[in-house]
Amino acid sequence: MRWLLPSLALQNLGRRKARSLLLIAAVALGSGVVFTGAVLMQSIDRSMAVGFTRLGADMMVVPEGALTNITASLLVVEPTELVLDADALAKARLTSLGRIAAQKIVRVEHSGIGSHHDSADLIGFEPAQDFTVQPWLAEKLNRPMQQGDVILGAARDGVLGSQLLIFGKPHVVYGRLGRTGVGTHERGVFMSFATLGALSEAIGGHGTKPAVLAPGKVTGFLAELAPSATPLQARFAILSNVKGVKVVAGDTTLSGIRQGLAALLDGILALMVLMFISTALMVSVLFSAIVTERRSELGLLKAIGARRGQVLGVMVTEAVLATGIGGILGVVLGVLIMRLFERSLVYYLENVGVPFLWVDLPRTIAFAVGAIALASIIGVLGVLYPAWRASRRDAYDLVRSGA
Amino acid sequence: MLSCRSLRKSYVTERGEVLAVDGIDLDVEAGRYAAIIGRSGSGKSSLMAMVGGLSRPSDGSVVIDGTDIWGLSDDKLAAFRNRRLGFVFQFASLLPTLQLVDNVALPALLGRRGDADIYGKAATLLARMGLGDHLDAYPSECSAGEQRRAAIARALINDPVLLLADEPTSDLDEQTEIEIMDELLAVNRELGTTLVLVTHNLALAEQAEQIVHIAGGQIAS
Repeated sequence: MRWLLPSLALQNLGRRKARSLLLIAAVALGSGVVFTGAVLMQSIDRSMAVGFTRLGADMMVVPEGALTNITASLLVVEPTELVLDADALAKARLTSLGRIAAQKIVRVEHSGIGSHHDSADLIGFEPAQDFTVQPWLAEKLNRPMQQGDVILGAARDGVLGSQLLIFGKPHVVYGRLGRTGVGTHERGVFMSFATLGALSEAIGGHGTKPAVLAPGKVTGFLAELAPSATPLQARFAILSNVKGVKVVAGDTTLSGIRQGLAALLDGILALMVLMFISTALMVSVLFSAIVTERRSELGLLKAIGARRGQVLGVMVTEAVLATGIGGILGVVLGVLIMRLFERSLVYYLENVGVPFLWVDLPRTIAFAVGAIALASIIGVLGVLYPAWRASRRDAYDLVRSGA
Repeated sequence: MLSCRSLRKSYVTERGEVLAVDGIDLDVEAGRYAAIIGRSGSGKSSLMAMVGGLSRPSDGSVVIDGTDIWGLSDDKLAAFRNRRLGFVFQFASLLPTLQLVDNVALPALLGRRGDADIYGKAATLLARMGLGDHLDAYPSECSAGEQRRAAIARALINDPVLLLADEPTSDLDEQTEIEIMDELLAVNRELGTTLVLVTHNLALAEQAEQIVHIAGGQIAS
C-alpha cells in the first residue's frame, strides 16, 4: 500500500504523456525562472554591494565653509575645523537619501605614523554603517573589526596584523585599502569612532583639541540617493531641512547606473512573482480538468473503501510528482542558463575589470531546494481544491458523472 | 441482514426536483439472493447506491448487519464499505493503470491490512474466476468478461457480508452474461454471501430467492 498509491499516481501521469510533458515543461520553465532569477539577483546584489559601493557615495554633506575636492573621482571628506552634529541628517528624516555614513577627520602631526615630519589624516567611521571605506579593503584580518584596529590607505606601509603606534598607543593593522587615486583615501589611517575617541586626549595634548573629537560631532556625511530620488531633489531636500551645510554631488552617471540596476532587480523580482502566479493558475486549471476526467476512478476508489484523505492523497501525489519533476528540471535548466551567462556576460565583465560574485554553493543549493519545493507547493495548491471537492461528493455521483 | 426503511432520494435538476426513490421499505435475509428489477429510470440503481453507502438518501435509513450505515461518519462509512460490502458495477470498473492482481488487492490494501497474504488471496480469487494466468495483465489487455470476473474477485477480497451487483452483465454477450451470473451465484451459494442484483433482465432475476420490482421509485411488487 505504501507504494501502490504513489505508483498509481505515477502511472496516471504516464496515461496522457503529451499533457504530462507539457505540464512538467511549464512548471520547469516557471521554477527555472524563479531559481535562475533568485541566484542572479543575489549574485548581482552581492556584486553591486562590492563593486558599486567602490564607486563611493552619491553625495557628500559637509559644513558650509569646508573646502571640497570636486575633481576627485571618489567623494571623500577633507579635513576641516568645521563640524556638524552627528544626527543632523537623521533628524531631518530625508526620504530622498538611502544609506548615510558619517566621518570624523583629524589631520595630526608627530603622531608616530610615517616619518617624523609627515602629517597624517586619522579618519573615523562607524564600521556598521560604512559603505565607502570597507569596500576598498584589498586585504584584511579574518575577523570582524574591533576597537584598536586601523585600516591603512594604499600609500601607507604596514603589514597586516602588525602593531602600529599612534601617539605611543598600540594599534593593530586590521586591513589595507586598494588604490583609489584620491589623496585623502590613499594616505588616510582609518579607524572606528571608538578607536579615534580613545586617541582624543593624546591628540588634544599636542595643542588645541579638534572640535570634531567632541562627542556628537562629525566632519561630514557620505550619502547614497534613495532608489527613486534624483540628485537635485536630494540636494534641495537637504538644503531646505539642514542649516549650515554644503552639498557636493558625485558623478550622476554612476548614480544613475546604481539606481537603474536597483530598478532592474525589482523588475526581475516582479517577473518572478508573475511567473509564479501564472504557473500556479495554469496548474490549477489543468488539475481541475484532470480531476473532472478522473471522476469515475475517484468514485470507484471511494466505493471500494478509500477514505477522503486517500482520494485526496492520490491526486496530491500525482500533482506533487508532476510539479516536483518540473521543479527539478527547472533547476537543471537554470544551471545551464547560468553556465551560459557565466561564459558570456560574466566573462566579459571580468575582462573589463568588473567583478561578478556568484552566490556561494550552500545558498545556491538552498535556492534550488526552494525552487523545487515551490513547484511542488504550486502542484498541491493547484490540485487541492478540485480534489477536495471531488472527495466530498457521493461515490455514486462521481462514478455516474464520469462514466 | 439488510433492512431499508422509508428510503427516499430526490435529485435537483435544471427542470426542478426529481424523485428517484419514493419511500421504499426493503428487507433481505442473510445469505439470500435478491434481485431488484425494473425499467431504466425506475430508481433501482439509486436504491442500490443508497443500500451500498454510495449515495446519501434524502430520507430514511439503511441497516446492514445491525449497523445504520448512514449514521456513520464519512471515514467510518468508507471503512464499512471496504470491509463489509462488495460491489460489481455495470461498467468496466477496474483502474486501467493497475494490473489485475493490484486491482483485486486494492480494497484490502486501502483497508490497511498487512501486505503478506493480500496478494496471495488476490491470486487465489483470480484463479477461482479463471484468471490465474492473467495476474499481471492490465485491464486493457483483457476482454469485457475477464474484466467483470476480475471485478467480482475484487469485490470478494475482504470477505464481504453483502455483495451488490448493479447491472453487471448489461454490456456483455449472452454466453459471457451466463458465465458472470454463474460466478455470482456460486459466490452466493458456496460462500454464503448475501447477493443483491440490480437488473432490467427478467431472465437473470428468475433464479433469485427474492424479487423486488421497482417502478416509479416505489416497490411495485
